[in-house]
Amino acid sequence: MNKLSFLFLLTFFTILFTGCQENEADFPSSDNPTVVVSTNEIYGAPNRKFEIKATLADDLGLKNVRIQIPELNLDKVINFATDPLLTSYDLSYFFEVPANRGASEGFVIKLTITDVSGNAIDQNINLRLDGEFNAPAISMITPKEGAVILLSSSNKLPVNFVVNDDSGIDYIQVKCAALGINEMVQLTGAPQSYTFNKTYTLPVTAAQYVLTITAKDKFAIPNMGTLNINIVATNEYPAIYLCDQPKGTNLTTDAVGVPMYFHEKVGQDFEFKYYADTDNKQIYFLGQEADFAPHCFGLNASGNLIDDVTSSAIVLPTKGYYKIKVNPSTLVYTVTKYTPSSKVWADVANGLWHDNEALRKPFVSIAGGGIQGANWDTWNAWIQTGLHLANNPNNPYQLVGEYTLTGTMEGTFTGQWWSPSWRLIKNGIATMSPGANGNAKYPAAPGVYKVILDTELERAFITKK
Amino acid sequence: MKYKFIGLLIAILCSSAAFAQITVKGTVKDKTAIPIPGVNVFVKGTQTSVSTDFDGKYAIVVPNKEAQIEFSFMGFVTQTIKVDQKTVVDVNLTEDNQTLEEVVVVGYATVKKKDVTSSIASVKGKDLQTMTVGNVTESLQGKVAGVQITGAGGPGAQPRVLIRGISTINLSTDPLYVVDGIPMGTSINFLSNNEIESMDVLKDASASAIYGSRASNGVILITTKKGKVGKPKFTVDLSTGYQIMEKPYDMANAENYATILNNAYTNSGYSEYLPNAEQYRGKTTDWWGAGINKASSVTNTSVGVTGGSEKNTYAISLNYYNSDSFYDVGGWKRVTARIANDFKFTDKFSAGVTLNPRYETWGSPGNWADFVKIDPITPIYKPASQLNGTENEYSIYARSPSYVWNPVATVSRYDDYTDQYNLNSNGYLQYEPIKGLIIRTQGSIEVGNRVNSKFTPDFVIDAAHEKAEINTIERKASTNSDWTWQTTATYSKAFAQKHNASFMIGSTMEEYNGNDVKGYGEGVPNNSDSMRELNAATKNYKSEGNSWSNSLMSYISRFSYNYDSKYYLTTSFRRDGSSKFMSNNKWANFPAASVSWRISNEDFMMSENSIFNNLTFRAGWGKVGNQNLPASVYQSNIGQGNYVIGGEVVDTSYPSTMANRDIKWETVEDISFGLDFGLWKNKLSGSLEYYQKKTNDMLFKKQFPTYSGFPGYSTIWTNVGSMQSSGIDLLLSYKDTKGDFSYGVDVTFTTVNVEMLSLSTEGERLYGAGNRTLTVKGEVPGYFYGYVADGLFQNQTELNAHTDEHGTKLQPYAKAGDIRFKDVNGDGKLDDKDRTKIGSPWADYNVGLNLNFAYKNFDLVANFYSSIGNDLVNQNISDLYNGISLTNKVSGLDQMAWHGEGTTNYVPRLSKDDNNENYSKFSSLYVEDGSFVRMKNLQLGYSFYNKFGLDKLRISLSGQNLWTWTKYTGIDPEVGGGDTNKDDGVKGSGFGGWNYPVLPTILMGINVAF
Repeated sequence: MNKLSFLFLLTFFTILFTGCQENEADFPSSDNPTVVVSTNEIYGAPNRKFEIKATLADDLGLKNVRIQIPELNLDKVINFATDPLLTSYDLSYFFEVPANRGASEGFVIKLTITDVSGNAIDQNINLRLDGEFNAPAISMITPKEGAVILLSSSNKLPVNFVVNDDSGIDYIQVKCAALGINEMVQLTGAPQSYTFNKTYTLPVTAAQYVLTITAKDKFAIPNMGTLNINIVATNEYPAIYLCDQPKGTNLTTDAVGVPMYFHEKVGQDFEFKYYADTDNKQIYFLGQEADFAPHCFGLNASGNLIDDVTSSAIVLPTKGYYKIKVNPSTLVYTVTKYTPSSKVWADVANGLWHDNEALRKPFVSIAGGGIQGANWDTWNAWIQTGLHLANNPNNPYQLVGEYTLTGTMEGTFTGQWWSPSWRLIKNGIATMSPGANGNAKYPAAPGVYKVILDTELERAFITKK
Repeated sequence: MKYKFIGLLIAILCSSAAFAQITVKGTVKDKTAIPIPGVNVFVKGTQTSVSTDFDGKYAIVVPNKEAQIEFSFMGFVTQTIKVDQKTVVDVNLTEDNQTLEEVVVVGYATVKKKDVTSSIASVKGKDLQTMTVGNVTESLQGKVAGVQITGAGGPGAQPRVLIRGISTINLSTDPLYVVDGIPMGTSINFLSNNEIESMDVLKDASASAIYGSRASNGVILITTKKGKVGKPKFTVDLSTGYQIMEKPYDMANAENYATILNNAYTNSGYSEYLPNAEQYRGKTTDWWGAGINKASSVTNTSVGVTGGSEKNTYAISLNYYNSDSFYDVGGWKRVTARIANDFKFTDKFSAGVTLNPRYETWGSPGNWADFVKIDPITPIYKPASQLNGTENEYSIYARSPSYVWNPVATVSRYDDYTDQYNLNSNGYLQYEPIKGLIIRTQGSIEVGNRVNSKFTPDFVIDAAHEKAEINTIERKASTNSDWTWQTTATYSKAFAQKHNASFMIGSTMEEYNGNDVKGYGEGVPNNSDSMRELNAATKNYKSEGNSWSNSLMSYISRFSYNYDSKYYLTTSFRRDGSSKFMSNNKWANFPAASVSWRISNEDFMMSENSIFNNLTFRAGWGKVGNQNLPASVYQSNIGQGNYVIGGEVVDTSYPSTMANRDIKWETVEDISFGLDFGLWKNKLSGSLEYYQKKTNDMLFKKQFPTYSGFPGYSTIWTNVGSMQSSGIDLLLSYKDTKGDFSYGVDVTFTTVNVEMLSLSTEGERLYGAGNRTLTVKGEVPGYFYGYVADGLFQNQTELNAHTDEHGTKLQPYAKAGDIRFKDVNGDGKLDDKDRTKIGSPWADYNVGLNLNFAYKNFDLVANFYSSIGNDLVNQNISDLYNGISLTNKVSGLDQMAWHGEGTTNYVPRLSKDDNNENYSKFSSLYVEDGSFVRMKNLQLGYSFYNKFGLDKLRISLSGQNLWTWTKYTGIDPEVGGGDTNKDDGVKGSGFGGWNYPVLPTILMGINVAF
């Protein structure tokens, strides 16, 4: 090889290899990075997030931190910018423990901190899954949410609730600034259950109050639970409900309709329209929606209307539609059977979507949210045949079906292009003429519900199956 | 007596000389055995010469048997033959493909190829006629460096032709076509390739500026066949064959479809959609077989005659083209005639007239994708149990739950056809009052009528989903009448032997007029063919109509000069006044200049002339424009919409577009450098060119500022923004002959680099194709803009690692098997800001390879075309792989899609919900390498000469588009621009979907000459 060729090749390969080198910047050697963890033992629980907290630092600059829990499929690398170099970093990383892990399991969280010079250190943190993160459970006996205190009969406010917590209760607190209540009960021995029962006196003026109940547990990382109860103290009933369920029935398991809200109100004269689906139907009037107490209107031994949770039910003798009037102040009620004259939506099961109105046949389905298969499209309401209601063979004014609710629901019962339609507004009212009232949202536990749309009453009843 | 003696002596001498002389006769023909009249037959070393007659025959007296006869004719290789003992010398002249004496059309003039100073590429008609195509530009693909042609499938579809890339974003990118000197718009669908003598592509502005405001996309000059002196020569050219339409995807059968959907449902937590998939085994509906023909016929036929005398030549041809669609209905037919007559009344006065009547008819369903997408379980027809006997013939088809309308039913209802009739008359008068001065005036009239008739029958396949409750009838007739008139005076003179100059001035006028009328009605009593008339409609009559007109008036000039055929200068100037321009900018000027240096003619190169036959350097500059402005540019329009006035919603009118009085054309200024070379007797020749063109005053549609008072959605066109294209065109050509074997290789190489230099405001982002492309300063226009699909999550560990620095999941709904989208900006969130450039529709380069071989009477032609480095969006991916819809999927998708760690990193898991938005997010999942190499044509021919009573009979077998290499998994890698109606012509480029593919075609051809 002559000299020229040699020089050429030398130059060529020098350029080639120079060109192939990585362009990564070189950093001078430096000390190891440091890590300070906030705790060496982290409590976690299945199906719950925990936080990994640590302060990372390096005299020159951090390159990355790697977080590993191989058993829980965690292998996360957080890379840091190097322009400018980062010399400290507050690590705050949340990770959710898979639901299928056992509460007795424990793992090691491995942190590997690397700096730009290539120095790396490891730091282990223990992870326990036996953490207790549930706030103390407060079960209200009285008053219930939305309770109505009729001042004319009593100005006493009995407060009765039970608190439960697995890791033990530290204290409970009852507060209501408007009533000057601030009751703190510090418990000794961290009992797992505690019952609070005390009666307060209300001023005689009508007002609304918020009772705040707080409970704190004794876990290493304490948990606190709070419950707000709205109470109405009034000289008049703002609403009366008709309840056809036996006493003791949980009145909050339905989505809509139980007990039934009144139809008309003039002063304290309330009027209901009601359909008794059997002979000898037993009903009560309630002064509040969620409970039989404190105001439950039934009959005394002599057949007069009384406000007493021990009263007997009013019996509607035969199946059919009734107009029922009641005055909770004068304790007078009347029951009148009647024959409806509103439009009967017959044969809805054979409904037909058709552009030509003449060929169209009404169907009744639902458009809305929180209902499996439903959205706000009436075309969807048509194609989701599972949402279609059928005629109740025993009552031409009722359309019935079954829906699966997925959470808080709202909806409008509808046919093609909202004709016909019944918008479900507040208080279970399914009205064909909603006016300015928008659709109301109804919290509901996920599950299958029985649906009754009563076109005569313009009410919907959606009750857990 | 003395005089008698001298006379006798002379007579004796003459007679002895006469005894030595030989009379040689013969016929001169071309390679295809067509006699060539006018060939110069010359006895070398003497003054004796004759010309061949109409039949190519000659007779010449040569002094002795040692004499050499030279046969020469422009465009053919000169041949010299020694007489020897022969008294009959028949000669076949071969065409000289590289002759620099060849004439090139340059716009309002012709020049010899050697004198061309601009970037002009020429293709001969015979090279375009090797393929059977509806639009001749498809045959041009790969044959001209700098011209990118994207084929379009479908009968009558028009390929996209880009000359040196693009120079506009919002206007048309089509070049201007000029046929026999008459501008014919931006389509030449009306031309048969058998009518064409040659095509000249004006690539740079120095060449095309003579066409001014319509030349920014380049100009293609087409010269049709003209008559030649000689006795009538008849030609018959027939090419017929079949286009092959294969099913583009192997789709799932009924059982596999059920399995795929069941997987999608169960993966999303639902119960199976079609339980017991095995029950569908053997119950697959063959939709494709029921509605798509695997082979559809294509025929191209021409019958022609040419001939004439010195005073009058004529060329008459009748051309027929038919391309059936691959449905049972529809296609495209074209019948054209061309009658050209040229007259030479005196040496000074000549004239010509050409008539070109044309008829086209077309129409074809467009739902072939539905034959692929519809579910394979639904039968074609409703079962008898669902029929009650009252349905009409269009209502007996079954409805698919996939929401794809029954495609067999759709085709059966199809009735949407267009007929077009045109007559073009083109005539000229030419007068040469003094030597060198030619005054020529040329005019043309084009009248046309297009009638579109459409009938949609009533039917009810499904009362809710698939029906037309009332039939409709529609007919639209458009008429156009256009005229052009151009007059030029050209004076050419050579002086002082070495100075050659030519000066041309002229003017042109053009007017284009049109009107249309449309009638519509509903409720025709029944669907029978005889009732499909507007008069039969019973309700909802509607009628519409409009008329339009635009005109152009121009002054043109060109000056050409060369010194000793070494140094060339050409300048041109055009001044356009267009009715499309507003009064503030009525006239536009388009200057150009070019120079060339014919180095091979320099004295110092004479010693190298055994190697260099031609070496020329060229440089050119020019300005051209684009006046294809949308009507809304110069019109103020009123729109209708709802407005809140005084708290009430009012249906009212509003100004939707406003004319801009200052609006003008887009201007393209370009420079071009080129080197032409021919080596070793032009065996190796070619050209290398570099160009750079910059568009200024680009047209963009802008909203008004809020303070103007105009509503937010009213717009005005404005001249803002600029862009630049640059690139290299390379043509290499090698030709040689070895005995009976001759061959030629042409390679074309094209690069185009396009960059936006500025937009209307700094930092402006122009979205296209439904926000899937972006155009910004410093980048190529219309690049694909979306999320980066970084493979699939293979396991829980990968899912857990895809978080921000605090552990918040970037894709909270993702499961193993879903796409991992890249957090491009690293902000710990996956949102709109993570969209980035994920591909470009523009090719790095295009290469054409054209081969031809001949051995004795056999000939073989092969053409290849490739596009390298471009990306394509395969929009079909969602249709084929997405479990959210009930349409059919590709066969075996249950195994192709992710179904466990390591099974695939490409096709996401099947899911009914697609909560991770694997398919609804536009990402690099859809972007594929769009490079391809396609064998455009392979043709083998055999010719018989002077057999069967014919001058020539050639039979050929050819295959078009038989082989394509590509990694693109869509229908066809030849994907053009987007929807021009949405201003996506450029910004929506490269979106492949269910586009009608360029079909493989097998053809047989017969060419007869007698």
